[in-house]
Amino acid sequence: MDFEAGEIVALVGENGAGKSTLMNVLSGLYTPDSGEILIEGQPTRFRSPRDAIAREIGMVHQHFMLIPPLTVAENVVLGLEPRKRGLLDLTAARNAVQKTCQRFGFSLPVDARIEDLTVGSQQKVEIIKVLYRGARVLILDEPTAVLTPQECDDLFAVMRELAASGHTIILISHKLREVLAVAARIYVMRRGKLVAQVQGSASNERELAALMVGDARPSPSIGSAKRDRGELLLEIEDLHVPGAQEIPALRGLSLRIFAGEVVGIAGVDGNGQRELAEAITGLRPWTSGSIRFRGEKLRNPSPGELRHRRLAHVPEDRLSRAIIAPMTVEENIALGRDREPPFARKGLIDFAGRRERASRLLKEFDVRPPDAQARIGLLSGGNQQKVVLARELDLAPRLLVVVQPTRGLDISAVRAVHERLLLARERGAGVLLISLDLDEVLSLSDRIYAIFEGRITGELGRAEFDEKRVGRLMMGAERERPPRAPSANA
Amino acid sequence: MGMFPSLFRAALPSLLSIALALLVCFIAIAVSRSDLSIAANAYLQMLWGGLGDVPSFLGSGNWSLLTRAWGESAAKAALLTFTGLAVSVAFCVGLFNIGAQGQMTVGAIVAAVIGAKVALPAGLHPAVAIAGAAGAGALYALLPAVLKVRRGVHEVISTIMLNWVAVSLVENWLVVGPLRATASGDLSRSGTDEILPTAELPRLLGSLSRLNAGFPLAVLSAVGVWFWLNRTSNGFEARAVGLGMEAARTAGIDVRARVYQTMAFAGALAGIAGAVWVLGTEYKFPATLGAPYGFDGIAISLIGQNHPLGVGAAAIFFGVLRAGGTRMQLLGVHKSFPELIQGLALLFVAGRLIWDSVLRRSAKRAVPMAEVPRA
Amino acid sequence: MLEVIEAILFSTLDYAPALIFAALGAVLSERSGIVNIGVEGMMRVGAFAAAVAALVVPTGAAVGAGMLAGAALASIHAYLSIRWRSDQVVSGMALNLVALAGVTFLLETRYSPTGTPPIAQLQRWTVGGIDGVPLLRALSGHSAITYLALVVPAVFHLALFRTAAGLRIRAVGEKPLAATTLGISVSRLRYLTVIGGGLLAGLGGAALSTATLDRFEQHMPAGLGFIALAAMVFGRWTPLGAFGAAAFFAGGNALRIGLASSAPRVLKIVPQGFLLALPYLLTLLVLAAQGTKSRAPASLGIPFEAEGK
Repeated sequence: MDFEAGEIVALVGENGAGKSTLMNVLSGLYTPDSGEILIEGQPTRFRSPRDAIAREIGMVHQHFMLIPPLTVAENVVLGLEPRKRGLLDLTAARNAVQKTCQRFGFSLPVDARIEDLTVGSQQKVEIIKVLYRGARVLILDEPTAVLTPQECDDLFAVMRELAASGHTIILISHKLREVLAVAARIYVMRRGKLVAQVQGSASNERELAALMVGDARPSPSIGSAKRDRGELLLEIEDLHVPGAQEIPALRGLSLRIFAGEVVGIAGVDGNGQRELAEAITGLRPWTSGSIRFRGEKLRNPSPGELRHRRLAHVPEDRLSRAIIAPMTVEENIALGRDREPPFARKGLIDFAGRRERASRLLKEFDVRPPDAQARIGLLSGGNQQKVVLARELDLAPRLLVVVQPTRGLDISAVRAVHERLLLARERGAGVLLISLDLDEVLSLSDRIYAIFEGRITGELGRAEFDEKRVGRLMMGAERERPPRAPSANA
Repeated sequence: MGMFPSLFRAALPSLLSIALALLVCFIAIAVSRSDLSIAANAYLQMLWGGLGDVPSFLGSGNWSLLTRAWGESAAKAALLTFTGLAVSVAFCVGLFNIGAQGQMTVGAIVAAVIGAKVALPAGLHPAVAIAGAAGAGALYALLPAVLKVRRGVHEVISTIMLNWVAVSLVENWLVVGPLRATASGDLSRSGTDEILPTAELPRLLGSLSRLNAGFPLAVLSAVGVWFWLNRTSNGFEARAVGLGMEAARTAGIDVRARVYQTMAFAGALAGIAGAVWVLGTEYKFPATLGAPYGFDGIAISLIGQNHPLGVGAAAIFFGVLRAGGTRMQLLGVHKSFPELIQGLALLFVAGRLIWDSVLRRSAKRAVPMAEVPRA
Repeated sequence: MLEVIEAILFSTLDYAPALIFAALGAVLSERSGIVNIGVEGMMRVGAFAAAVAALVVPTGAAVGAGMLAGAALASIHAYLSIRWRSDQVVSGMALNLVALAGVTFLLETRYSPTGTPPIAQLQRWTVGGIDGVPLLRALSGHSAITYLALVVPAVFHLALFRTAAGLRIRAVGEKPLAATTLGISVSRLRYLTVIGGGLLAGLGGAALSTATLDRFEQHMPAGLGFIALAAMVFGRWTPLGAFGAAAFFAGGNALRIGLASSAPRVLKIVPQGFLLALPYLLTLLVLAAQGTKSRAPASLGIPFEAEGK
């Protein structure tokens, strides 16, 4: 690949296509086994990030490389500190940050701690950090993943300005619309290889998607037939839930889920989705409001109690929340039901019963390899997720809460997961689908709620699905109906 | 490596660590005395001291030459097993129990009080004293567990603090104050009153040896812990909590209950160590605990790779060495020498990734990495 | 009354440096993210090495030997924790056991079971002009280590919060990967802080055997390393905080000893055991009160694996 001064180049590809690895090589974090990097014609070898910085390459990582308890100024100058008489020259540090801020029209509190800033501001700190080091090549890895559309627009403006002043911008993304909007050239990667190079102005989403995936197969469509929904499973009224740092995460949220439907939650990351899932599944207490499950009011339910009532949960963070990597597949399947048949008898583990049930589920869910005694940590992400789904659906759930069920999975695993969710619905379960992938929400749901700042800003039936409108609701730009209860924050 | 049974392969880093520690110490003696034969002799004496004087026995046929040594080794091994298990069990739920020392101290003082001040029939008395010690140790271990779960206080720090709290309060207050032995005649005695004869742990070989019921109890406990962890649902849940706390919680396992229960279990084992020490060896709480048995437990637990049976094996091995250490003194080598071997073995186990890398290179094949316990 | 306070102040200043330096050593190591419960062992080898060296070289130089011994033990900890990503608590504990038994072995082989022969104590300095002033004169008549222990914490504090190196140490202790992306070598920095921590802990140990006493005694440092850890936690991982806590604990200890000799009746009411337990109980209380808000470095105890190796 090649990159020129003053242009914005995008690098697209599916998860695991090798984009981030390539860029980590370019920023000196990884060392390549073979191959060459040429800068202005000179072969260059980076042994550490220090070398890359010296060659004026800077990277803004997807997961911010900021140190939360340090201030903005300290974070920016770290590693290249201005000194005066042996001491850190904080005045110079502040000035340097201010100067860059002014140039790009940012406003940042230089003495604030990173942990007190919004995600959008943190990203600006990252960019300033890179510019402070005199970078002429900026690599931005999935920079919009955590931003609101407003912040995204700001970011794009900054990117264009940087390009105009001679910087090279490398944008890594899988959001094709953004890429098309901002990049002059687009490289497409698949499975560690460069498969195509296209001009941004001469391409479209469908073409890019096809290049990325290899063969573009549509996700299963749920069929538009309007079906009768069953009993009212879950009714949430005016729910208030505190989030991290005691900032309220849910502020009077209300919704209802019936048996036999998939209800999607559409929203930008950080608007209370996680807290909603955790409150419903008993992992997080709420301060006011109510949750009724099949008409019965829940009072500080434990996750175990809810599972007993056949409420299943596929959590967002698979590796830390859904599976125990050092344990075997069958032990993971027994997790939570380890005291009851067929997994146990009289408090003792029933090894034969456990093996039999696990083997059957592995076959049914097409887990590869179908080895119940393999450590689950050694399976691929997609197969791990199938095991999780197998465990949860083996509960014969009445309500299934799934959060980001396909993040990081390959296409075939995504399809398998989607099919399972729809099958659960066919069998009469209610499914609450919380996902940041709007396409996923729109293609699977019978009904969606848009969530913004801890409140439901709108409810749309399948016939009313309209991406633009959903987008506005997600931004809080349009409110379909007033919140049901007066709220101090309203 | 494929030809070795998997059990042996799992134990290999520990075995190599022990071998290396023995070698280093051998060289240390040889160098410090500038005499190889002294070092060789010292090791031989350590062996006969721990296992019994086999050459003399073969010459005389006097069984007590063996049984006496067995009694000493078994007494040490029992203590090490209990404190080692106290650390291993806590590891199961992911907690690093540095506090076995303190839990053992409170267990020992409770056993000493029940043994001396409560009148009970012979069969029941030790059982009640052990139960009391177990309860005290359990409660004392619950404290750091509660601080961890409710307040997020790291258990390593809190158990270290609680060790010294226990030592200060028991040794510098109770034992020298309210519970001080009543002086008889003009002899002022240190420590607490001696326990009643009914409270003593029965000796298994009568007058032949000091071998008491503590050792079989320790072996049974190790097997019991193994059974609990590997065969019961409750033990499975404890392991799940230790290996993936968030996943266990999400799957509906009562994480708090398992942490409290397991930590109390660990403390109870350390408390029993105190009881076995008082009821089987000392017959009172002497002026001080005298040795860092609780810290030894950390070494035994890790050298035994946190496997209950591995802990038992490591405890017996070092019990033998330590009993034999007394005999090394005849050659002018201090009796704490086996503790140095044990400390070095732990240090080498701590660097087990080095072993893994060495073994992998020599085997030219990936050896699956055993779980390194996380603090 | 004034004399009693003066005596207590004097003995605090005599006893505190060991604790202060050990606590600072722990802070230095832990700020960069490496748990250091081996302080006790580092103090022990430091005290022993200094006393042994003082038998042949001037005591001032012997203190340097003590520091080096502490650093040597610390470098094993650093190597295992950094290069091999060993569990830091295990490694520290192992070093404590090795130091305990190893020093006992050497002591018995070379000297006597109770301690080394007496050595020339570090010279005590007289501060001019305050000899006649009550209370203030307690400041006079201590070894250089005491005066050092009053200055070093402030310098260390300044260095940690106001120099580039300090900023880097704090950054590495919080989020080593972020520091790596900025070209900072995490392992190099950690080697330096852990070994530096060993130097400080060794100095603390040396203070015991060359300044507080005039020999190495079998039980040294008798748990002082663990009080130093308490002081570090109590002082919220800052040099001045740890200094304050260490001085406070040392003062409490001097008060206890002072009471035992001058007012034994008080100890009838408040047994010594309670006073001995006090620093630990206070630390536990502070921890319990602060809860999760207690500011331990975020990456403390987590082995760091540089990517792309």
